[in-house]
Amino acid sequence: MGVRALGWLAVLALIAGLGTAFGYAPREAVQGNVQRIMYLHVPAVLTAYLAFGFVFLGSVGYLLTRRPGWDRLAMAAAEPGVIFTGITIASGSIWGKPTWGTWWTWDARLTSTAVLFLVYVGYLLLRGMIDEPDRRARAAAVVGILGAANIPIVHFSVKWWRALHQPATLLGPEPSPIAAPIFLTLLVNWIAFTLLLLYLLAKRTEIARLEDMHAG
Amino acid sequence: MPDNWSYVFAAYGVAAVVLLAYWRRLAARAKNLAARTARRSA
Repeated sequence: MGVRALGWLAVLALIAGLGTAFGYAPREAVQGNVQRIMYLHVPAVLTAYLAFGFVFLGSVGYLLTRRPGWDRLAMAAAEPGVIFTGITIASGSIWGKPTWGTWWTWDARLTSTAVLFLVYVGYLLLRGMIDEPDRRARAAAVVGILGAANIPIVHFSVKWWRALHQPATLLGPEPSPIAAPIFLTLLVNWIAFTLLLLYLLAKRTEIARLEDMHAG
Repeated sequence: MPDNWSYVFAAYGVAAVVLLAYWRRLAARAKNLAARTARRSA
Protein backbone atom coordinates (compact mmCIF):
# COMPACT_ATOMS: atom_id res chain seq x y z
CA MET A 1 0.00 0.00 0.00
CA GLY A 2 1.32 3.45 -0.89
CA VAL A 3 2.02 6.12 1.70
CA ARG A 4 -0.70 8.40 0.28
CA ALA A 5 -3.30 5.60 0.42
CA LEU A 6 -2.28 4.87 4.02
CA GLY A 7 -2.77 8.58 4.79
CA TRP A 8 -6.28 8.60 3.36
CA LEU A 9 -7.10 5.40 5.25
CA ALA A 10 -5.91 7.10 8.46
CA VAL A 11 -8.09 10.17 7.70
CA LEU A 12 -11.16 7.96 7.15
CA ALA A 13 -10.42 6.05 10.36
CA LEU A 14 -10.02 9.33 12.30
CA ILE A 15 -13.39 10.54 10.97
CA ALA A 16 -14.92 7.21 12.07
CA GLY A 17 -13.21 7.66 15.45
CA LEU A 18 -14.68 11.14 15.91
CA GLY A 19 -18.08 9.81 14.80
CA THR A 20 -18.02 7.07 17.43
CA ALA A 21 -16.61 9.37 20.15
CA PHE A 22 -19.28 12.04 19.68
CA GLY A 23 -22.16 10.19 18.02
CA TYR A 24 -22.13 6.58 19.19
CA ALA A 25 -20.55 6.43 22.66
CA PRO A 26 -23.06 7.18 25.43
CA ARG A 27 -22.83 10.08 27.87
CA GLU A 28 -20.93 8.72 30.87
CA ALA A 29 -23.13 8.46 33.97
CA VAL A 30 -20.75 10.00 36.54
CA GLN A 31 -18.49 12.42 34.62
CA GLY A 32 -20.91 13.47 31.87
CA ASN A 33 -19.64 14.38 28.41
CA VAL A 34 -16.19 15.44 29.59
CA GLN A 35 -15.35 11.70 29.74
CA ARG A 36 -15.27 11.81 25.89
CA ILE A 37 -11.68 13.09 26.27
CA MET A 38 -10.84 9.44 27.09
CA TYR A 39 -11.31 8.52 23.39
CA LEU A 40 -8.39 10.84 22.60
CA HIS A 41 -6.30 10.37 25.75
CA VAL A 42 -6.10 6.55 25.91
CA PRO A 43 -5.47 5.87 22.17
CA ALA A 44 -2.82 8.64 22.20
CA VAL A 45 -0.81 6.99 24.98
CA LEU A 46 -1.16 3.50 23.47
CA THR A 47 0.06 4.87 20.13
CA ALA A 48 2.99 6.56 21.89
CA TYR A 49 3.93 3.19 23.46
CA LEU A 50 3.86 1.63 19.97
CA ALA A 51 5.98 4.46 18.51
CA PHE A 52 8.59 4.05 21.25
CA GLY A 53 8.47 0.29 20.62
CA PHE A 54 9.55 1.07 17.04
CA VAL A 55 12.34 3.30 18.42
CA PHE A 56 13.51 0.33 20.53
CA LEU A 57 13.31 -2.04 17.55
CA GLY A 58 15.19 0.37 15.27
CA SER A 59 17.83 1.00 17.94
CA VAL A 60 18.48 -2.72 18.55
CA GLY A 61 18.46 -3.34 14.79
CA TYR A 62 21.03 -0.61 14.22
CA LEU A 63 23.40 -1.79 16.97
CA LEU A 64 23.24 -5.36 15.62
CA THR A 65 23.57 -4.62 11.90
CA ARG A 66 24.86 -1.01 11.58
CA ARG A 67 22.44 -0.52 8.70
CA PRO A 68 21.24 3.12 8.48
CA GLY A 69 17.68 1.99 7.67
CA TRP A 70 17.22 0.85 11.29
CA ASP A 71 18.42 4.22 12.57
CA ARG A 72 16.02 5.99 10.23
CA LEU A 73 13.16 3.85 11.57
CA ALA A 74 14.07 4.74 15.17
CA MET A 75 14.31 8.46 14.44
CA ALA A 76 11.12 8.48 12.36
CA ALA A 77 9.19 6.81 15.20
CA ALA A 78 10.56 9.06 17.96
CA GLU A 79 9.02 12.25 16.52
CA PRO A 80 5.38 11.05 16.42
CA GLY A 81 6.01 9.25 19.73
CA VAL A 82 6.87 12.58 21.36
CA ILE A 83 3.84 14.20 19.71
CA PHE A 84 1.43 11.49 20.91
CA THR A 85 2.93 11.65 24.42
CA GLY A 86 2.47 15.43 24.38
CA ILE A 87 -1.16 14.98 23.33
CA THR A 88 -1.60 12.44 26.16
CA ILE A 89 -0.24 14.89 28.74
CA ALA A 90 -2.21 17.87 27.39
CA SER A 91 -5.52 15.99 27.09
CA GLY A 92 -5.02 14.40 30.53
CA SER A 93 -4.34 17.79 32.06
CA ILE A 94 -7.45 19.29 30.41
CA TRP A 95 -9.50 16.28 31.60
CA GLY A 96 -8.01 16.53 35.10
CA LYS A 97 -9.14 20.10 35.74
CA PRO A 98 -12.93 19.45 35.77
CA THR A 99 -12.69 15.93 37.27
CA TRP A 100 -9.83 16.16 39.80
CA GLY A 101 -9.94 19.92 40.29
CA THR A 102 -6.33 20.43 39.14
CA TRP A 103 -4.42 20.69 35.87
CA TRP A 104 -1.46 18.74 37.23
CA THR A 105 -0.39 16.70 40.25
CA TRP A 106 2.87 14.81 40.91
CA ASP A 107 1.09 11.46 40.79
CA ALA A 108 3.12 8.39 39.75
CA ARG A 109 1.41 8.00 36.36
CA LEU A 110 1.63 11.69 35.46
CA THR A 111 5.22 12.03 36.61
CA SER A 112 6.43 8.89 34.81
CA THR A 113 4.65 10.04 31.62
CA ALA A 114 6.37 13.44 31.88
CA VAL A 115 9.72 11.63 32.28
CA LEU A 116 8.92 9.49 29.20
CA PHE A 117 8.20 12.68 27.23
CA LEU A 118 11.45 14.34 28.36
CA VAL A 119 13.57 11.22 27.64
CA TYR A 120 12.44 11.17 24.00
CA VAL A 121 12.69 14.96 23.62
CA GLY A 122 16.28 14.42 24.84
CA TYR A 123 16.68 11.61 22.28
CA LEU A 124 15.73 14.04 19.46
CA LEU A 125 17.95 16.82 20.87
CA LEU A 126 20.88 14.38 21.09
CA ARG A 127 20.42 13.49 17.44
CA GLY A 128 20.56 17.17 16.57
CA MET A 129 23.81 17.69 18.47
CA ILE A 130 25.97 15.03 16.74
CA ASP A 131 26.96 15.55 13.10
CA GLU A 132 28.82 12.32 12.38
CA PRO A 133 26.13 9.82 11.22
CA ASP A 134 27.49 6.60 12.78
CA ARG A 135 28.30 8.23 16.13
CA ARG A 136 24.87 9.90 16.16
CA ALA A 137 23.10 6.64 15.37
CA ARG A 138 25.05 4.71 18.06
CA ALA A 139 24.44 7.29 20.79
CA ALA A 140 20.75 7.61 19.84
CA ALA A 141 20.36 3.80 19.81
CA VAL A 142 21.61 3.56 23.41
CA VAL A 143 19.10 6.22 24.53
CA GLY A 144 16.38 4.57 22.44
CA ILE A 145 16.96 1.23 24.18
CA LEU A 146 17.27 2.66 27.71
CA GLY A 147 14.26 4.95 27.18
CA ALA A 148 12.00 1.98 26.39
CA ALA A 149 12.49 0.76 29.98
CA ASN A 150 10.26 3.65 31.03
CA ILE A 151 7.22 2.30 29.10
CA PRO A 152 6.34 -0.49 31.60
CA ILE A 153 7.03 1.95 34.45
CA VAL A 154 4.43 4.37 33.00
CA HIS A 155 1.91 1.62 32.32
CA PHE A 156 2.17 -0.19 35.65
CA SER A 157 2.80 2.90 37.81
CA VAL A 158 -0.87 2.93 38.83
CA LYS A 159 -0.49 -0.59 40.21
CA TRP A 160 2.97 -0.23 41.75
CA TRP A 161 2.32 3.05 43.59
CA ARG A 162 -0.72 4.61 45.22
CA ALA A 163 -1.93 7.03 42.55
CA LEU A 164 -4.71 9.50 41.88
CA HIS A 165 -4.88 8.28 38.30
CA GLN A 166 -7.32 5.42 37.71
CA PRO A 167 -5.97 1.88 37.02
CA ALA A 168 -5.45 0.73 33.41
CA THR A 169 -8.71 0.54 31.42
CA LEU A 170 -7.08 -1.49 28.65
CA LEU A 171 -4.04 -3.80 28.67
CA GLY A 172 -4.51 -4.50 32.37
CA PRO A 173 -4.02 -7.91 33.98
CA GLU A 174 -7.77 -8.35 34.58
CA PRO A 175 -10.54 -8.33 31.90
CA SER A 176 -11.60 -4.77 31.04
CA PRO A 177 -14.59 -3.64 33.16
CA ILE A 178 -15.85 -1.05 30.65
CA ALA A 179 -19.19 -1.24 28.77
CA ALA A 180 -19.21 -2.54 25.19
CA PRO A 181 -20.01 0.79 23.39
CA ILE A 182 -17.22 2.54 25.29
CA PHE A 183 -14.79 -0.30 24.53
CA LEU A 184 -15.75 -0.29 20.83
CA THR A 185 -15.27 3.50 20.62
CA LEU A 186 -11.85 3.19 22.23
CA LEU A 187 -10.95 0.41 19.80
CA VAL A 188 -11.98 2.43 16.70
CA ASN A 189 -9.95 5.43 17.89
CA TRP A 190 -6.99 3.22 18.78
CA ILE A 191 -7.00 1.73 15.26
CA ALA A 192 -7.30 5.24 13.76
CA PHE A 193 -4.33 6.54 15.77
CA THR A 194 -2.28 3.46 14.89
CA LEU A 195 -2.95 4.01 11.17
CA LEU A 196 -1.98 7.67 11.60
CA LEU A 197 1.26 6.63 13.31
CA LEU A 198 2.08 4.18 10.49
CA TYR A 199 1.43 6.91 7.92
CA LEU A 200 3.62 9.46 9.74
CA LEU A 201 6.31 6.80 10.20
CA ALA A 202 6.33 5.89 6.50
CA LYS A 203 6.42 9.54 5.43
CA ARG A 204 9.17 10.52 7.90
CA THR A 205 11.29 7.47 7.01
CA GLU A 206 11.08 8.35 3.31
CA ILE A 207 12.08 11.97 4.05
CA ALA A 208 15.06 10.75 6.12
CA ARG A 209 16.12 8.41 3.30
CA LEU A 210 16.06 11.27 0.78
CA GLU A 211 17.92 13.57 3.20
CA ASP A 212 20.63 10.92 3.65
CA MET A 213 20.83 10.51 -0.11
CA HIS A 214 21.35 14.28 -0.60
CA ALA A 215 23.84 14.48 2.29
CA GLY A 216 25.84 11.54 0.93
CA MET B 1 -21.57 16.70 37.08
CA PRO B 2 -21.78 19.44 34.40
CA ASP B 3 -20.77 18.42 30.89
CA ASN B 4 -17.78 20.78 30.51
CA TRP B 5 -17.93 20.76 26.71
CA SER B 6 -15.33 23.54 26.56
CA TYR B 7 -12.73 21.15 28.05
CA VAL B 8 -13.67 18.44 25.54
CA PHE B 9 -13.29 20.81 22.58
CA ALA B 10 -10.04 22.22 24.01
CA ALA B 11 -8.51 18.72 24.27
CA TYR B 12 -9.53 17.68 20.74
CA GLY B 13 -8.56 21.13 19.41
CA VAL B 14 -5.04 20.98 20.85
CA ALA B 15 -4.55 17.48 19.39
CA ALA B 16 -5.81 18.54 15.96
CA VAL B 17 -3.58 21.64 15.85
CA VAL B 18 -0.46 19.69 16.92
CA LEU B 19 -1.01 16.83 14.47
CA LEU B 20 -1.85 19.17 11.58
CA ALA B 21 1.23 21.31 12.28
CA TYR B 22 3.47 18.21 12.26
CA TRP B 23 1.88 16.87 9.08
CA ARG B 24 2.32 20.27 7.34
CA ARG B 25 5.98 20.36 8.42
CA LEU B 26 6.55 16.88 6.95
CA ALA B 27 4.72 17.80 3.74
CA ALA B 28 6.86 20.95 3.33
CA ARG B 29 10.10 18.98 3.86
CA ALA B 30 8.99 16.31 1.37
CA LYS B 31 8.14 18.97 -1.21
CA ASN B 32 11.50 20.69 -0.72
CA LEU B 33 13.37 17.39 -1.09
CA ALA B 34 11.40 16.46 -4.22
CA ALA B 35 12.36 19.81 -5.77
CA ARG B 36 16.03 19.24 -4.87
CA THR B 37 15.92 15.74 -6.36
CA ALA B 38 14.35 17.09 -9.57
CA ARG B 39 17.01 19.83 -9.82
CA ARG B 40 19.74 17.23 -9.31
CA SER B 41 18.46 14.94 -12.06
CA ALA B 42 17.83 17.84 -14.52
